[in-house]
Amino acid sequence: MTNKTLTGAPLHSAVGIYVKDANAGKLSRREFMARTTALGVTSAAAYGLLGLTQPAAAAGHAQQGGTMRMQMEVRALKDPRAFDWTQMAYVTAGWLEYLVEYNSDGSFEPMLLSGWEVNDDATTYTLSIRQGVTWNNGDAFTAEDVARVITDWCDSEAEGNSMAGRMSALVDADTGKAIEGGIEVVDASTVRLNLPLSDITLIAGMSDYPAAVYHSSIDRENPANTPVGTGPYMIESNEVGVKAVLVRNEGFEWWGYAEGKGAYLDRIEYIDYGTDPSAWVAAAAADEVDMTFETVGDFVNVFETIGYERSEVPSGATIVIRPNQAAEVNGIKPYADVRVRKAIAMAVNNEVCLELGYANQGIVARNQHVGPMHPEYADVAGTPFDPEGALALLTEAGMQDFEMEISSIDDDWRKNTTDAVAAQLRDAGFNVKRTIIPGSTFWNDWTDYPFSSTNWNHRPLGTQVLGLAYRTGEAWNEFAFSNAEFDALLDEANAIADADARREVMVKIQQILVDEAVTILPYWRTIYRHAKPGFVGWEMHIAYLPQIYKIGIAA
Amino acid sequence: MGLFILRRLGVMILTAICLTFIVFWLTNLFPKLEVLAKTQGNFRMSDEAVVSYLDNRGYMQALPVKYGQWLGVVPGYVIEGSDGEVRAKCERNAAPTEDTPTFCGVIQGDWGFSTVAKEDVANVLPTRLGNTGKLMFWVLVVMVPGALIIGVLAGMREGSRTDRSLSTVSIIATATPEYVSGVILIALFATPLFGMQYFKGTATSAMDDITFGNFFLPVMTIAIYGMGYIARMTRASMTEVMTAQYVRTARLKGVSFPNIVMKHALRNALIAPFTVIMLQVPWLLNGVVIVETLFNYKGFGWELVRAASNNDIEMLLGVSVISVIVVLMTQLISDIGYVFLNPRIRIS
Repeated sequence: MTNKTLTGAPLHSAVGIYVKDANAGKLSRREFMARTTALGVTSAAAYGLLGLTQPAAAAGHAQQGGTMRMQMEVRALKDPRAFDWTQMAYVTAGWLEYLVEYNSDGSFEPMLLSGWEVNDDATTYTLSIRQGVTWNNGDAFTAEDVARVITDWCDSEAEGNSMAGRMSALVDADTGKAIEGGIEVVDASTVRLNLPLSDITLIAGMSDYPAAVYHSSIDRENPANTPVGTGPYMIESNEVGVKAVLVRNEGFEWWGYAEGKGAYLDRIEYIDYGTDPSAWVAAAAADEVDMTFETVGDFVNVFETIGYERSEVPSGATIVIRPNQAAEVNGIKPYADVRVRKAIAMAVNNEVCLELGYANQGIVARNQHVGPMHPEYADVAGTPFDPEGALALLTEAGMQDFEMEISSIDDDWRKNTTDAVAAQLRDAGFNVKRTIIPGSTFWNDWTDYPFSSTNWNHRPLGTQVLGLAYRTGEAWNEFAFSNAEFDALLDEANAIADADARREVMVKIQQILVDEAVTILPYWRTIYRHAKPGFVGWEMHIAYLPQIYKIGIAA
Repeated sequence: MGLFILRRLGVMILTAICLTFIVFWLTNLFPKLEVLAKTQGNFRMSDEAVVSYLDNRGYMQALPVKYGQWLGVVPGYVIEGSDGEVRAKCERNAAPTEDTPTFCGVIQGDWGFSTVAKEDVANVLPTRLGNTGKLMFWVLVVMVPGALIIGVLAGMREGSRTDRSLSTVSIIATATPEYVSGVILIALFATPLFGMQYFKGTATSAMDDITFGNFFLPVMTIAIYGMGYIARMTRASMTEVMTAQYVRTARLKGVSFPNIVMKHALRNALIAPFTVIMLQVPWLLNGVVIVETLFNYKGFGWELVRAASNNDIEMLLGVSVISVIVVLMTQLISDIGYVFLNPRIRIS
């Protein structure tokens, strides 16, 4: 190991503190990895700083060739910036790659970038473009391509573009486009991002599944029509709802082969068995698939009984069952009163939600939307479980006779968890009505239901979801939560590269979420995948990212 | 006869127009368009983005105009969107070129574009119809002879032990819906639970390659349900014929029992089941929804469900047109078939 950082630059000033904290037991390994690698430290060096050697990649024991069939919904493709299902990225991951890769151990690895440097107050990012990468149509991959894609990400006018939220520091609030001079091509292999304010979430945002790097010739309605990318595979067929097939792009020299990155399989098939898990079991029993995309609930055990191997990872994926503070019901705004919200939180025991809603497959959370898997998580006490006190508080607010209507989608775990919340509120003496809305219409007004549940996926940093969902006026703010102090603290937290210093701010932020009783967030889900024995590199990813090049057949 | 068929064709076109207009109107209600925009754009899209999405793609035009465009009697839209891109209906929402036709509707042979499958309806539907066709073929092969044999055997001697046991079986079969029998069959024969894992509990692989293992259960699930019904009809018709004057005369003259059944009773007894069998064909087309979903076999019924739940307007219209054609065609065939089975009926 000669270089400790990706670019060969000196270690970021905060790294030393992390090492000290990690050795003192104040930082978990995943937190340490996420923090240091986001600052440009190589993951091998990060392990080295802890006095560990990097775990050997299991993929080292894979053989070249073979076919893998995965049970997965095959959805219609669209503009990668607007991807709203990871399944779409699993198909495009064959030829579209990412600048940065986020791993389940919390580390960020460079992919199409060869490295990055962040200045001390996280306002300047210097991205080094990997050399020797070509598009599969023969064009060279240059800094111009990276600048073009980042500019596209910043276009908040584009319908459904969720990357604009991740790049918000670079977006001009007036024009809705990238700020002047924000994205600067320094030379053929360097792009510099000049941020008007500090933002530590940028590298993490680049690793998310809608952040695929595409060629300028992309067909935004259906990227499969013009599959120009830098990845090792080519799409053979893409029949929506039925099957999608990726095959090795013969005659194209993928940059990853030289790096020993894998792409072991010759052929990857995604076969759609609908949304009913019992159909997946039938497919596995009939030997029509080799692995599942994700296994949920009771089916985790069912797959084991037919001899499948299990992979699990505790993640930040979760559910929120929340009252909407701005919602009007019969002329009053029942949830604008903090006492009502507090009463709801006090009446619900999160452990019961985990047990009944998700078969105990996860860890209990504290209604704060930041968890122990996040680097800056602070140990702030949650709302105490006190059903009698809850009813007293509700009576004090004069709302004991108010009928609360709790809505949810009609699937398995989200429905069950919401049922568990409703039942506990009834037990505490609340007047509760429960409504179940079919999946085809649920998302029409998901932010407007007075009281409903929504699932959220894992994000690498704790402040990311908070910015996306709890900041005043954000499109995804389903809580109608608006708190000037919270917004200011969030900006402050995003400016602090040092996660320990950030944790001091997080204490206040998390305390606000508890005091204001913004939501019930009962548990963090452990997520599962099952595969037939004989495959390597197929493990479930903490954020469902499509790292299909790692999958292979065991040698 | 010619006039009769012509009149039937006229009715068919009129029905198709009425039905598609109703489907069109329902799928173009604003909440349904919102579903469409959100499935195509982004599930968590804002209300303004929904409107601009719909506006840019011509969904906000007046209903009769849109229907006319689909039919091909009104020129397809060319709209310059709020994002600066020009989208033309006849170019599948891409910028128009010199070759872009003015009209692109069903009359011009353009069935439109499926927003879910991202493909022309005319490319997708034949594949789905083909899949359902294969399923229907094997169901009919198993169901019709089976049902007729059971019905005739039961109806030959009313009240005998054979009659009672066969009738019981067919009543049970009819009374068990597919979503019950299908699940029972899968549990029994496709899981390791009972040690009888002879078949596959999914028919997904049958779309490429039909084998006994992957097609037996879906075929049986539908066939069992339909079989009981047809068998009951055949039995009723058979018992009636067996008590008819001419059969009694034949028996008194000493004609052997098998000869009476085969040569005298059968043809008359088949008139009623024939209608039922023809009615089963359109039922199969749409009624296979459950079985196709249960066994993940991507056919016509599955496509109908998918189009409906995603508000895939042009696909739904295509499905409706084909359904109308199939229903009325089978009616036509059964009307003509009557003439051959019963020469006393004349169609003029």
